[in-house]
Amino acid sequence: MTALSLAAQLRHPAVWCAGDEVQPPHPCIPTGHAALDAALPGGGWPVGEMTELLTDCCGHGELSLLLPLMVNASNTTNAGEADRRDCWLAWVAPPHAPGLSALAAAGLHTSRLLLIEAGTAGERAWSLRQALRSAACTVVVGWLDRIDGAMLRRLQLAVREAAIPLILFRPASEARSASPAAVRLLLSASAPGVLRIDILKRRGRPASQPIHLSSGCAATPQPTATAASQHRPGATTPALALIA
Amino acid sequence: MLWLALVFPDWPLQALFRNQAHAQPLAVAERQRVLALDAAALAQGVRAGQGLADALAVAPTLLVRPRSGDAECRALRDAAGCALRYTPGVVLETDGLLMEIAGSVKLFGGLDPLLRQVRSDLAAAGFRALSACAPAPRAARWLARGAPGRCVTDIGALPAALAPLPLQSMEIDARMHALLADSGAQKVGDVMQLPRDALARRDAAGVRRMIDQALGRLADPRSYFEMPRRIDGRLELPVPRYDVDVLLFAANRLLNACCSQLAAVHAGIESCQLELEHEHHPPTSLILTLGTPSRDARRMALLAREHLARLALPEAVSALRLQADGWVSLTGGTADLFGTQAPAPGQRREAGVLLVEHLRARLGRDRVHALSACADHRPERAQRRTDPGRSLPAQARDRRPLWLLPSPQLLRVVDGRPLRGGPLQLISGPERIESGWWDADDTASRGDALRDYFVAVGPGYERLWIFREHVPPYCWYLHGLFA
Repeated sequence: MTALSLAAQLRHPAVWCAGDEVQPPHPCIPTGHAALDAALPGGGWPVGEMTELLTDCCGHGELSLLLPLMVNASNTTNAGEADRRDCWLAWVAPPHAPGLSALAAAGLHTSRLLLIEAGTAGERAWSLRQALRSAACTVVVGWLDRIDGAMLRRLQLAVREAAIPLILFRPASEARSASPAAVRLLLSASAPGVLRIDILKRRGRPASQPIHLSSGCAATPQPTATAASQHRPGATTPALALIA
Repeated sequence: MLWLALVFPDWPLQALFRNQAHAQPLAVAERQRVLALDAAALAQGVRAGQGLADALAVAPTLLVRPRSGDAECRALRDAAGCALRYTPGVVLETDGLLMEIAGSVKLFGGLDPLLRQVRSDLAAAGFRALSACAPAPRAARWLARGAPGRCVTDIGALPAALAPLPLQSMEIDARMHALLADSGAQKVGDVMQLPRDALARRDAAGVRRMIDQALGRLADPRSYFEMPRRIDGRLELPVPRYDVDVLLFAANRLLNACCSQLAAVHAGIESCQLELEHEHHPPTSLILTLGTPSRDARRMALLAREHLARLALPEAVSALRLQADGWVSLTGGTADLFGTQAPAPGQRREAGVLLVEHLRARLGRDRVHALSACADHRPERAQRRTDPGRSLPAQARDRRPLWLLPSPQLLRVVDGRPLRGGPLQLISGPERIESGWWDADDTASRGDALRDYFVAVGPGYERLWIFREHVPPYCWYLHGLFA
């Protein structure tokens, strides 16, 4: 068979090429990071699907990765989305308290944040399902340590009906276990302020190259006069000891 | 005018045993005589009017309860609560209701659909009723007693409709009944034929007056029932039970009755109290808080389910009681022409409130919250927990971490360098925060913050927000993570 006839055969509608791009059913939400958008099918976070972020680290910019999504979801000035004012960004079982000033600096409407402290895996999965089912949330983010496959599948069903993004943070050790999530990203740090993203799973052609993102907040800020010292002009600049 | 009469057969029995499924034959007794009985008891040979001892000899498993006027009153009010959804004109009778439905027929899509709805509503509340319609209240009642199901809408057709009814369908006492029967009357029509003066001479002018009222020739004024402005429903379980499903089923019935009562007066409640009564313990009480005024039974049932699932009962539940005060007037929603409603902004808000209530019902009140900004420079006091929907927006600040530890965590120091799994490298800072001297006299938690904040990088490239107190002993603390 010549190469030409093979190409003709491949154009048949019943043939699916593993290298093809896959168009997800819902339009995706751009992640705000061009490199990541290019690597994800549909060009962003999938809507109506589960996205898993597998990470063991805390402090590498893993939450900043979601900031553009959450800012977009909490934005009340979007045209035609006046009812977003009444929608929640639900965070189920976050590991620490979110810093409001940092979220506000990113442009997030912090009054739309709903924090749900749930202890056991069952309670967390239940809370996630309620949040998805209620039609009152624009994004649902959950932190899970241990969860069985049946619970994940139930979450997958709930998010399909809800048609909003569901982002789950799970430990990196879960990378080997199966999951119904549409996108699975393994997050780690490759250098100070650089987040390394390995795409473990996505629709269509598997990814081979990891993505390195230097997140916005990872850029080393310049030391400047601080707000508090401005408020107290009498305070002397503190002596920076020879520790740094 | 068009009157719908509802008559509850075996009323003393229904009032006591409605909502309960019993395996045994049932009877209600008054003054040691059987007053009302169910089909099972009848099959075993028990008869109305029988002495109690005889009845128990015939049917040893017979469950007998004394007649309770109180229970009958309460049950009648419950039924009236259902009926008030269809018309404001509801009259209480001893063993039934009268509803003035002329104005409601068109609204509910005709007489037949209205009757069907009333019947299914009553059945859902556990009532068994016979019904009939007539242009006069008394005629409607007689028809319901003598020929249930009849609908007479034309006043001219009343004499013909009433004439074939048996004497028992008239509401007359036993003495009058005997008098009329002795004079050869067997049907209402026969009584109509009797001459007025002859009846008056035999002290039976009242009977003639009743017939005139039934035929619509004489005024028959009735006073309408008005709902008391509080909800108090009680439901006894046949056997004390623990199962959540059974309790939920019973609670559902109470909530349904409560909500149809609220719908009748266009009101909603913000919270109600569900008491679970035990035989040997004080009642367990649940407060269902709805957040916004509502009369949605499904929503209340959802909350009740979460509460019941969490509850540790000291003993099996023998009865449930639902109480609510403080009604708020609540206009109804507008239904869409095609059945479903498009989600309006208000509904989104409603869904948001409902989600919070639902989560709080299961997880506990303080575990579902929002964060509100406070005017304070100390990072740990710049935000506090608050009820969802009541938070103040935060002020944007540079170089603040996304994760904030609830309280600063002391770091180990070696050679003047802070450690966290390895030496930390400071990459920016310091930012001095000095604030809170007004809290300094609070000895337990040194409110006064005298800190220099730095951004540091740990051995695993994690970026931390740490500070050093610039008062002795110059300790280092971890306060946040740049996630």
